[in-house]
Amino acid sequence: MQDVIHAGVKFIELNYMNVLYLFAVGFVGGLVSGFIGSGGAFVLTPGMMSLGVPGLVAVATNMCHKFPKALVGAVKRAKYGQVDVKLGVIFGIFAEAGVMYGAHIQENIKRAFGDAGSNLYVSAAFVLILGTVGTFVLRDALKTYRPGNTDQEEKVSGIARWVQSINIPGTMVYFKSLKAKVSILFIIPLGFATGMLAATIAVGGFIGVPSLIYILGAPSLMGSATELVVAFVMGLGGSFKYALHGFVDFRLTAIILAGSLFGIQLGAMGTTYVKPFMIKLVMGLIMVIVLFSRALMIPVYLSQLSLMHTLNETTVKILSGASFAIMVFALLMGALVILRAMWRGRRAEREMVGEAATEVLDRA
Amino acid sequence: MAADYNRLMKKPVGKMVAFGIFSAIIYGALFSYQSLITAYFTRGALYAVLPIAGAFALSYFHGHFTGYFWTVLGIEAKKTAVVRPRPEVRQPVRRESPQPRLRAKL
Repeated sequence: MQDVIHAGVKFIELNYMNVLYLFAVGFVGGLVSGFIGSGGAFVLTPGMMSLGVPGLVAVATNMCHKFPKALVGAVKRAKYGQVDVKLGVIFGIFAEAGVMYGAHIQENIKRAFGDAGSNLYVSAAFVLILGTVGTFVLRDALKTYRPGNTDQEEKVSGIARWVQSINIPGTMVYFKSLKAKVSILFIIPLGFATGMLAATIAVGGFIGVPSLIYILGAPSLMGSATELVVAFVMGLGGSFKYALHGFVDFRLTAIILAGSLFGIQLGAMGTTYVKPFMIKLVMGLIMVIVLFSRALMIPVYLSQLSLMHTLNETTVKILSGASFAIMVFALLMGALVILRAMWRGRRAEREMVGEAATEVLDRA
Repeated sequence: MAADYNRLMKKPVGKMVAFGIFSAIIYGALFSYQSLITAYFTRGALYAVLPIAGAFALSYFHGHFTGYFWTVLGIEAKKTAVVRPRPEVRQPVRRESPQPRLRAKL
């Protein structure tokens, strides 16, 4: 029996199936994170809870696997010149403050309305944020993809141009990814919102990456890579906070890391084969699919809070199962799109090298 | 045959094996002594350093192993991958008000 009781927390017994399941989810989550800078966590936390891991331990363990994974991904992508460390660290510090505040709000909601209230808040945040930001990101990606403008250089958005043109003396910092000075006063709310979202739905990158791209004006590749630095800073602070109370199940962290470090290396390499709009496309697709998953759960929580008629047990089971299945589908679909894009990119490169070699031989 | 051998020799097989062994030792120790490790790693307070240090150690050893693993398999980043910088956005020019000059005619 492998139960270790500490501070009222029960840690699960591990078997081969649990290990394989966490390894596989870790791999796919890592692949997506390496590519778009975030993601994966939204399946890992409920995935661990479905194995019987208590909610708080699942969140803490997920957080503790996130920062070393983000570190490996950031180092890898820094080799390709895609990371702006200064922007990531500054953004990450304010995101950390957002995590603390977001966790505090969560605790208050849980105390006032119980688990159902807390879950309703999380799902509503998912639907609202993914509905607006996800649709915007997906539309932008499709706008580039449909008319075949994929080879064109990315344009800085109007908002980003305005943000970069504002000069507030004493607050201006130069960022290499933006090739411009930006007031730190713009970074504070963006970082804070990213942290709050990370504390609420476990994926701060769904706000962080679009903010870096559309509001600050970073190119997609640099925005998604810099988010890995943000995730590292945020994850390190958050993990330490949870570890102080003994909530991290390091065995689960290690198993998830075993898979996710394979995935994140592959995802990071994948970014060198694709055009920038692919980052937006994958992110937008995942966000919009996950939105439906969470929307399915809203009637369940409303019924638990007696805000609508009570749903029977079978309906609750069907809705919960469908919601989880859609979430897994979102992650798998993102992974497949990445692998396909990478495969095509590698084939195109090989063909190009082959043609060049033939040309040289012909000349000779 | 010789070309294949040379290509294999260029790949970091030794490094992959070395980091793989370190990684396997960490995982082996973790699961052989899981109750003891979990007991210490979840004590909280100053012991909070343990899971953080463990995560860093895994990211170093297992991270290097996974990196070399893909390289040995021949899966690498695109050789010509370069991030194209965007044109610089014009910053507003700071206008300095001209200083009044006093000219004294003597």
